[in-house]
Amino acid sequence: MTAPQPVIRAQGLTKTFGQVRALDGLDLEVTPGEVHGFLGPNGAGKSTTIRIVLGLIRASGGHVELFGRDPWRQAATLHERLAYVAGDVALWSGLTGGQCLDVLGATQGGLDEARRTALIERFELDPTKRIRDYSKGNRQKVALIAALAADAELLVLDEPTSGLDPLMEQAFQEVVRERRKDGCTVLLSSHILGEVEALADRVTIIRRGRTVTSGTLAELRRHTRTHVHAVTVDAPAGLADAPGVADYVSERLDGHADSRFTIDAAHLDDSVGRLHAARIHTLTVTPPSLDALFLRSYDGDAGPLDAGPLDASELGEPAEAAR
Amino acid sequence: MTATGLRAMLGVQWRTHRRGTLVWVLALIALMVGTAGSIAGLYNTPEKIHTYAQAVTAGDALVVINGRVEGIDSLGGIIADEFGFFAAFLLPLLGISLVALMTRSEEEAGRLEAVLAGRVARYVPVLAGLTIASAAIVVTTVAFALGLTAFGVPATRSILYAASLGTLAFVFAGFAALLAQVTLHSRGVYTWGLLILAGAYVLRGVGDVTKTWVTWLSPLGWAEKAAPFGDMRWWTLLIPLTVACLFAALAVLVAGRRDLGSALVGGGAGPARATSWLRSPIGLATAIHRASILAWLAGAVILAGTMGSLAQQFIDAVLGNPAMAAAFGVSGAQPVDEMVALTQLYIAIIATGFAVQAVGSLRGEETAGRLEMQLSGRLSRLRWLAAHGLVIVTGVVIIVLVSSVVLAAGMAWSMGTPVNLGLVLWAGAAYLPAELLVGGLALALFGLRPRAFPAAWGALASVTFIAFLGPGLKLPAWLLDLAPTTHIGSPPLGTVEAGQLVVLGAIAATLGVAGAVGFRRRGVPQS
Ligand SMILES: Nc1ncnc2c1ncn2[C@@H]1O[C@H](COP(=O)(O)OP(=O)(O)OP(=O)(O)O)[C@@H](O)[C@H]1O
Ligand SMILES: [Mg+2]
Repeated sequence: MTAPQPVIRAQGLTKTFGQVRALDGLDLEVTPGEVHGFLGPNGAGKSTTIRIVLGLIRASGGHVELFGRDPWRQAATLHERLAYVAGDVALWSGLTGGQCLDVLGATQGGLDEARRTALIERFELDPTKRIRDYSKGNRQKVALIAALAADAELLVLDEPTSGLDPLMEQAFQEVVRERRKDGCTVLLSSHILGEVEALADRVTIIRRGRTVTSGTLAELRRHTRTHVHAVTVDAPAGLADAPGVADYVSERLDGHADSRFTIDAAHLDDSVGRLHAARIHTLTVTPPSLDALFLRSYDGDAGPLDAGPLDASELGEPAEAAR
Repeated sequence: MTATGLRAMLGVQWRTHRRGTLVWVLALIALMVGTAGSIAGLYNTPEKIHTYAQAVTAGDALVVINGRVEGIDSLGGIIADEFGFFAAFLLPLLGISLVALMTRSEEEAGRLEAVLAGRVARYVPVLAGLTIASAAIVVTTVAFALGLTAFGVPATRSILYAASLGTLAFVFAGFAALLAQVTLHSRGVYTWGLLILAGAYVLRGVGDVTKTWVTWLSPLGWAEKAAPFGDMRWWTLLIPLTVACLFAALAVLVAGRRDLGSALVGGGAGPARATSWLRSPIGLATAIHRASILAWLAGAVILAGTMGSLAQQFIDAVLGNPAMAAAFGVSGAQPVDEMVALTQLYIAIIATGFAVQAVGSLRGEETAGRLEMQLSGRLSRLRWLAAHGLVIVTGVVIIVLVSSVVLAAGMAWSMGTPVNLGLVLWAGAAYLPAELLVGGLALALFGLRPRAFPAAWGALASVTFIAFLGPGLKLPAWLLDLAPTTHIGSPPLGTVEAGQLVVLGAIAATLGVAGAVGFRRRGVPQS
């Protein structure tokens, strides 16, 4: 069985702007039909990567393919199949929102009329207002609607929800899921972890122009540990040495046994069995936090994630979450 | 009022805008002092000065353009007269542009938000912008006064003249600060500022010709009435100073009360759909350039109309008065042709200005991030560039042809005889290769060295300087030859050599192609 051809494949991309090394051997692979989260701290090189993938700027080194072709040479042809929302949305201040939608739509080869109408309603956009009179969020909506209403195989969204309120953010997530159901592939660069967690099938995390890690959320979660806080009637037996358990602390409080520990996902069942045997009074299980994962990836000099599972200390204080 | 954060704000504004401000101020000082020096060299005897004074006061044509200079029979008087037209626009423009840059465009770009979120009172950015603009104006004024004194103009008169120009700039700086609060966009500040300036120019002209109080209605009139080379009325400086302070105070007051990003004048609703024309690359390019085509066209039409309708006065003044003719830089032998040739040179410079500004707006599309969006579609770079190129060239042609027709009509009306329209049109059209050459240079910069685009404005300024002042200042031939306008041959007065036009056209095309190739190869956006 041959794997389907990736929509985007970048290998060992480098890009220098004068003295600045924006990309330094970056890898990115987006497979058809997935929502791919693209994460990294400010200045990591997300927008630069996206521009190279779109053939707007040329890589200094490495290899990049868009739909299996060279985006720099065949930009205009390949662009027929995608829609793009840039990181800094800028529109013509003299045109109305509706006019901008149509103009952007025309550059993408036309909008789906029914979807255009539905999205304007869903995002509560007034298409008769001039861009200069819009708020930042409303300008963002215009670019978003233009991309989401396009008949595209690939959506490239560079921080698409900056400036949107929570309600609109919700609407955005719903629409992206619908588009994915239609078979659309999405590359989603974002700083909003909740959004990536809610939408992405796979993520790539980059830092300083290099890919730190890439995989499905489940794979990434496997590197993180579940936190357990249990109050039992009896002291749970043998937990401290049970397989997969770490950071075990137990004390007696008000006649109950108060235990805290972390555990990897594979051994959760066994430990809960032991707690059950000790008669559970209260039990809080905090699933692996992606925030912590991302924070670690973003953080200064931490090594690549594959180096090993995360410490409990890096995951923050679980009891805080339980209370 | 305590100006919380004023010092911090001044630091921020200065750091962000010092380059632009310095370039403006230094260029202006160099232009004014340099020109004053050349004039001093040219009119170096009392006889020459006297002849000049006789000539320019002979008719009303020059009074409309340069103003009525009291005490023109002196070196300073000649300098004031020669400067009349340029100073009337450059100094107000200095005030307007510095203030617009430091207030409204900052706010539009959203940069003010970050600053105001800190401990900076709402009116402080305006105050800081005005402070820096004022400092720039004071520096220019002092340098100009020193320069004039160095060339032999009496010190007190130099100071009064420079101060009258400085206070003129103050008035428009204050006015721009107020406009920045009232309109939503820096474009509005420029548009309204320039409109009022044009009005002030007309009022001054009307008042000077009719010798009535109308002059006193215009800020340009206040500067003139200071009479630095005549009666030296120091007290008139109080009028612009008071008005400037009033405007500035009002601007600060309004800034303290309104919401960030808001304006007193808002916008209305527009169409919800784009026409299929607007959706096409050419349609969008037209929409982007339309406003500036109309603005430059308006300038050219006003100029052509004014010159045309003063044709008879011009001819009367020039005929049989060699000194007067010399003041215009013409010989006086064929006044009608000379009038057309002179006006067409002005129109050519205006059309060139449009070309540079329009190519610059392509750079604006890029830095704003809109170009990236357009090129992420199925539009290829070359087609995008071709659409804009076509619209810009069309704009240049429209400006030249329409104002030529207006010039011919004005002349026919003024002289009461039919004018050879074909001749006037041909004289205008002959300049097209020169206009496109400078536009091509701008395009080459955009494609190959986008960051160096301001050099295109430098080229325009040099061409303007050489074209207008070069012959009068007797600049060396090689310097004159640098300006493409020199090679056109001043039609219909001189003969146009087709070979020259072809060479200019070929250079323009080469530059354009170089720009297109560079643009296709480079990254977008390039910051
Ligand atoms: N045109 C350019 N010229 C010079 N340096 C650039 C240019 N574009 C990007 N850079 C630099 O490249 C690096 C990566 O920038 P990029 O915009 O790709 O980051 P990003 O991951 O999108 O960041 P953010 O999350 O803030 O949007 C930064 O250090 C930036 O300063
Ligand atoms: Mg970015």
